[in-house]
Amino acid sequence: MPNPAVQLDRITKRFDKNVAVDQLSLNVPPACIYGLLGPNGAGKSTSIRMMMHIQVPDEGTVRLFGEDGKTGRDHSARIGYLPEERGLYQKMRVLDVIVFLAEMKGVERRTARIKALEWLDRLGLGDRSMRRVNELSKGMQQKVQVISTLIHDPDLLVLDEPFSGLDPVNAQVLKDEVLDLKQRGKTILLSTHIMEQAEQLCDGVCIIARGKKLVDGPLAEVKRTHGGRHVHVAFDGAAGDAERLFADPKLVKEKESTGQYAELELAQNADAQDILKGLVNSGARLAKFELAEPSLNKIFVDLVGPEAAVAAAQPEAK
Amino acid sequence: MNKIFAIVRREFIERVRQRWFWVMALLGPLLFGALMVIPALLIGSASLKHIAIVDSSTQGLGKAIALQLDTSKVQSVQVLPGPRVADSLMQVVSAKQLDGFLLISDALVDSGKAEYRASNVSSFTTNNEIEGALRRVATTVRLTREGVDQAAIGRAYKVQLDMQTTKIANGKATGESAAQSFSLAYFMGIILYIAILLYGINVMSSVLEEKTTRIVEVLVSSVKPFELMLGKVIGVGAVSLFQFLIWGVAGRWLFSMRSKLGADPSAASQSPFQVPHVSLDTGLIFLAYFLGGFMLYSAMFAAVGAMSSNEQEARQAQQPVSMLLILSYISMFGMLNDPNSTYAVTLSMIPFTSPIAMPVRWAAGNLPIHEVIISLVLLVIGILAVTWVAARIYRVGILMTGKRPNPKELLRWIRTA
Repeated sequence: MPNPAVQLDRITKRFDKNVAVDQLSLNVPPACIYGLLGPNGAGKSTSIRMMMHIQVPDEGTVRLFGEDGKTGRDHSARIGYLPEERGLYQKMRVLDVIVFLAEMKGVERRTARIKALEWLDRLGLGDRSMRRVNELSKGMQQKVQVISTLIHDPDLLVLDEPFSGLDPVNAQVLKDEVLDLKQRGKTILLSTHIMEQAEQLCDGVCIIARGKKLVDGPLAEVKRTHGGRHVHVAFDGAAGDAERLFADPKLVKEKESTGQYAELELAQNADAQDILKGLVNSGARLAKFELAEPSLNKIFVDLVGPEAAVAAAQPEAK
Repeated sequence: MNKIFAIVRREFIERVRQRWFWVMALLGPLLFGALMVIPALLIGSASLKHIAIVDSSTQGLGKAIALQLDTSKVQSVQVLPGPRVADSLMQVVSAKQLDGFLLISDALVDSGKAEYRASNVSSFTTNNEIEGALRRVATTVRLTREGVDQAAIGRAYKVQLDMQTTKIANGKATGESAAQSFSLAYFMGIILYIAILLYGINVMSSVLEEKTTRIVEVLVSSVKPFELMLGKVIGVGAVSLFQFLIWGVAGRWLFSMRSKLGADPSAASQSPFQVPHVSLDTGLIFLAYFLGGFMLYSAMFAAVGAMSSNEQEARQAQQPVSMLLILSYISMFGMLNDPNSTYAVTLSMIPFTSPIAMPVRWAAGNLPIHEVIISLVLLVIGILAVTWVAARIYRVGILMTGKRPNPKELLRWIRTA
């Protein structure tokens, strides 16, 4: 198995008496999009800053690309980082800003210039390269930020709330770039509190709240293990066989049936495919067979909800 | 290393591209030129004064004085003494029909006493002229009484005095006059103060810009905070050296052009401000202490920028640092009188004040070289210590948002490894 791109081993960070991140462990497999999910203040940004070695964990270790003893800063040439709060040098020329930030990533100046111009052309800012940053619209500045994050063709992309504040056009630009990078075998770690985005993009997720991990793993697995598994069925004929099938406690835990339509919650270890087979064998004509998985949002609310309620009930309980 | 260089280059190029850099580059020599030309102009243009001489002497001293006065500078009329003449003359002076009046009596010859009342008694040229005339008349009368021939007295007065003052350094005459060393010390003090403050604040606003725009987060994910701070200080320092280079070249040019600029060197020689001759070692001392002072103060200003989250906060937080600098600037005036007093020596040893105090002492008087060496060593130690503390504040501060830390929190920042 290839080395995980990011491996956090029980990292903890305290600010004053506040535990921002508490014993967080996770593995981000290579060549995938991984979502770090959590409500505001869950410790997502702090975790990311520790990956980048902007902040040093009080306990625990961060391993990047499977290499021991090298920090995010040592690997900075291979990492593109877009922090949650973004800004640029307002008085610098667009091209100079991008070249400077590329140099910080270890790109040679001349190469950086050529690449920057290519990127600017590609994102439709070719004629703005000599303008000052503060002469650009907000959307254009966001493009410049995206360019300066991607210009050194990083193997690992760390995006903190990448879509917050982006206008729809730039959000799409970034989404396309992210998917393209994944195609090319790069790893993308992004944090977000918007579950619909994570559900669309991510292969793996980790949900944290109050600095603690609640669940992590591949998205499908998280969906399978959390929340009930539901099957919605609509059919014609073979009503008796179907009734018998749905009554099997090994397959169905609960059912709500109206004769021709049923909503089933699967029993533990049951496979929805067995129900499908049973129905087909019984001769029923299927109009609908849907595996109604819970949305990530539902899992998130189920998991975080009570946790957040506890947090509100006992603030600063240490 | 390449990254630090990129930071240095960015700081340098962005600053040199800014308008204010060239404004300063132009204003510096202009100020320099003004200090050179204006005193000369002022002296050259001292206007003609009209005075009255109230002569209550018995030997016609008033007329003799009127003869001695250079009529291109002071013109006089004779007024007979009377009981209320002084009062009425004061009215005339108040009405600006007369610049002033001179009250003389026989006491001038006997005890040298005379009185000059005028609307402006601080004009060196006028006072010198009147005093000279009084002195010559009194002396002439006294010599005549002693039986000296009038013609002989006239010949005696023909001598033109021209005393030159020359500073001695290391047993050699330096060709510097007292006025020149004074102006040199004064100039160096002012330039050091302005430059250290200006460029220190530059470092601060640069730190603040990166902090408020949050670029700093991207930067410190690739370079160490200390490298970032170092690159910034070096970059801004390079800008200041470039500025000095421009000033130096422009200053030399202005100096060589001074006769064409209308500053008559002989007129300027009476002015307390003079364009000094800057020797190589003076230049080196200046540069060494400027760089030292700049590093010391810019490290502090960087820490201030890092602990503030906006311009207003920074402006408040930088006050203690600026005060230190202002203190060393103000103390310069006390030092100019006696550059080797305990007070001056102490200030030139303390790293926070030595960047201004030592060059001022150096320019004002001859210094033992070992004092300079001790002071420089102390300065370097001071820089290392201050930078160590500042770097720790900087490292934590640049990532902090929210309220400014109190002293207790600052201490904790410094202590956290």
